[in-house]
Amino acid sequence: MPVWLDDFLWTYQNVVYALGINGLLALSMYVVLAVGQLSLGQAAFMGMGAYSSALLTLKLHLPFAVVLPAATIPPVLFALAIGTPTLRLSGVYLAIATIGLGEVLRAVYLNVDALGGALGISGIPERAGMVSIYGLLIVALAVLWLVARSGIGRAMEAMREDEIAAAVMGVNVRRYRLGALLASAVLAGAAGALSAHVSSFIGPNEYGFEPAVTILSYALLGGISSPFAPVAGAWILTLLPEALRGFADLRLVFNGLIIVVVVLFLPNGLLPLRMRRWVK
Amino acid sequence: MKRTHFLAGAAALVASAALPSLAAAQVQVGAIEILTGPAAAYGIAIKAGLDLALAEVNAKGVLGGQKIVLTVEDSAGNKDQAINAARKLIGRDKAVIIIGPTLSNEMFAVGPVTNERKVPTVGTSTTAAGITEMGPYIFRTSLPESDVVPVTFKKAQARGVKTIALMYANDDAFSKSGFDVMKAAAEKLGLKILTIETFGSKDTDFAAQLTKIKALKPDAIGISALVEPVSGVVLQARQLGIGKETLLLGGNGANSPKLGDIAGAAADGMLVGSPWFIAKPDAVNTKFVADFKAKYGKDPDQFAAQAYDTMKIVAQAIDRAGAADSEKITAALGKTDFSGVMGPFKFTAGRDPASSEGVVVLEMRGGKFAIAQ
Amino acid sequence: MLAQQLINGVLLGSTYALFALGFTLMFGVLKVVNLTYGFYFSAGAFFALHLTKQWGWPIAAALPAAAAASGVLAVVLDWLLLTRLRRINAPELSSLMVTLGAVLALYAGMTTWLGPDIRRLPAGVLGGEALVLGELRITQAQILILLATAVLVGGLLALMRLTPIGLALRAMAEKPDAAGLMGIDTAKLAALVSLVCGALAGAGGVLIGLNFNAIQPYMGEAMMLRGFVVIIIGGLGDVRGALIAGLLLGVVETLTAGYIDSGLKEAVAFIMLVAVLWTRPSGLFGRAHIQRA
Repeated sequence: MPVWLDDFLWTYQNVVYALGINGLLALSMYVVLAVGQLSLGQAAFMGMGAYSSALLTLKLHLPFAVVLPAATIPPVLFALAIGTPTLRLSGVYLAIATIGLGEVLRAVYLNVDALGGALGISGIPERAGMVSIYGLLIVALAVLWLVARSGIGRAMEAMREDEIAAAVMGVNVRRYRLGALLASAVLAGAAGALSAHVSSFIGPNEYGFEPAVTILSYALLGGISSPFAPVAGAWILTLLPEALRGFADLRLVFNGLIIVVVVLFLPNGLLPLRMRRWVK
Repeated sequence: MKRTHFLAGAAALVASAALPSLAAAQVQVGAIEILTGPAAAYGIAIKAGLDLALAEVNAKGVLGGQKIVLTVEDSAGNKDQAINAARKLIGRDKAVIIIGPTLSNEMFAVGPVTNERKVPTVGTSTTAAGITEMGPYIFRTSLPESDVVPVTFKKAQARGVKTIALMYANDDAFSKSGFDVMKAAAEKLGLKILTIETFGSKDTDFAAQLTKIKALKPDAIGISALVEPVSGVVLQARQLGIGKETLLLGGNGANSPKLGDIAGAAADGMLVGSPWFIAKPDAVNTKFVADFKAKYGKDPDQFAAQAYDTMKIVAQAIDRAGAADSEKITAALGKTDFSGVMGPFKFTAGRDPASSEGVVVLEMRGGKFAIAQ
Repeated sequence: MLAQQLINGVLLGSTYALFALGFTLMFGVLKVVNLTYGFYFSAGAFFALHLTKQWGWPIAAALPAAAAASGVLAVVLDWLLLTRLRRINAPELSSLMVTLGAVLALYAGMTTWLGPDIRRLPAGVLGGEALVLGELRITQAQILILLATAVLVGGLLALMRLTPIGLALRAMAEKPDAAGLMGIDTAKLAALVSLVCGALAGAGGVLIGLNFNAIQPYMGEAMMLRGFVVIIIGGLGDVRGALIAGLLLGVVETLTAGYIDSGLKEAVAFIMLVAVLWTRPSGLFGRAHIQRA
């Protein structure tokens, strides 16, 4: 390999990994939005996956093939604890209940010595790479695409458009919502485990409010018409700050404005890939 | 300020495009600092210190007249952006040495990356334990708290302190490390620790913790946190009637003129150990303070002072290395023998600052620091 | 010590309640979880800072002026962000998302513009001396917060219960469409609610900035999470519930930090939130908000 190419790949290795991981995070937001709900706990789920995977690797020395699925269990349990009461209620409750989740977990990470406190966990070996990150992304995309084409997908779309009508037509709205939230927790937890195993250090302050909003902006920018759209949204928003480093001051302003503009003027996202047209 | 910065950047771009021969005679130095987001104050102070020193260095140049080009990348306090910045600085800008990043947490993420590439990395503000143990290319010019805090505590003991309560912000590595050092220093000196209370860096209400401490009547309260929460704690301690009979002791974070700005007279009597002091009378320091004020219109703080020295230490190491080569610069850095605004400076074999002679204990009086008697 | 801790708790709680008042009102009447609310809180504090510092106004004049300015800001932002969504009858999650994006942009923009530093009101704006009652101490700013909270809650309840505007507001809260049909100008009322809520947030920002003597762009965000917990525990849209829930949260947090472990203080709010969601999802005092589906 020529030196410049090697340098190039090395320079952008973290960005390439981040594209895959953020794609998974965008999907974890997509599955919730697809049933007409909003969860702001994606970053918290990710953090749980990151912390539990790091502990499993460092303390129990388990192989990554075991660590990765095991790390999705804690986020799923939390999703159950929060989703069960709130999904009975109107959509804002899930959003509000999850908005604080990241902050609470932060308090837990800080106060439990085994979790490293403020110093976080460092020295995590680099176990994840192109194969695990992009393999998982492709599998997730394929599964979600098949689901969206199936009867389940049509039920989900019906719920999104008109929940009451969907319920009347015999769609078990609550079960779909909980299922979506759990799937979302699995995806975010796995993304967390992957990210912990590419960056050697995780800290307690990385999974709070701002990353949660950023993940939302991925999915909104892309739109939720198909699972590919939110991934594309994540890629744009991951690459943009790298391309526009000179405007670093305004990066968060920009992320916020994207959400505003998309919700107000482009309800289908920037990339309204209408899947129904492909299918029919 | 923004505009001049942009223009300077544009001018540099044009110059480097038009005159490739000039571009070849430049030394690329990278810095990773927090320039945006809630913790931007530190990175901005550091960048100001670096820029000030850079202007002086480039007046003469290094390696026989070459200019140092300093590229400062924003990490926004975010680990991933810090890593991306390090990879970009090394892989694309071909920086031969990196200054920063600002926070210890960021250094824990960036250190393994730069160390893998054997690019020397010099922290100017990373005081947490374990930073330089990450690898043979990781240096720091900031005195770890373990060199500063014991000096303060000894002074307190000399004033008759026998019992102490400790408070710290438990959500950042800097404050937690500072607390660990305070606890060790208190135990070593035989001070009785009455209680240990925590709070969050963004908290504004500390009444519950302080009321508890007040009831225990300690001789002193040691506080490890960044300056903003420390000021809040001090203000509220006075409001709750914790008077001058209780000595307040600060760590590295309290060592900022902002303590006086925010807490005012409430902070009077607080003791803070510092590797640097704005009113240090030597010529190097008075010039630095005057130049800084002239350029930025405000007093420098310790972060700016450390950055100022670091830029010069780095420039000297490049000069002594004889080439813009990371490996040679690393070796030269190890042999640093420098005297700057912080006083005489050398690295230990473990790449930490060698001497803590420069540490002074400061006391707040009328909202300003003065040498404690 | 217990008495002082209870006072500490009530004071902390009244800052939560003060913050949550307008927040819960916005939801109750406008049916919007408006996340820009925290920004009006920061903005109010900065307005007051400017008035007292640059123009030398006394705090008695700066406080209402800052509140009014925040109120106007709220009306403008509400118009920019939410009129369109209201017109197309968009789902409530859309307005949550739009205000979420807006508030992120606003905080970041404000930080870029003004810098992230903590600022303080000029010394002597309000006497720093504490009132001493035996062992107990309470500052003038704290007394001001207690009074302001009492006055504002009383005023709001009186407005809602006793005036024609209040009647119209309650009608709008119950059935916005029907209220519109009955000849109530809902657009004008929405602007009025935004004005009142923005002013409440602004006043809260000034008072709390005064109490802790720390003003910075992100101060509203720090209050936001507690604000959510308070309005859920109190019941979305319930002014009286917000008052009680705010006080309750403040006291429980303070007692936890004072007698159990200060590290647990952060988690208290969330544990209370989840407990309420499991057992009484419409709030401790609220009516059911449960969806039919």
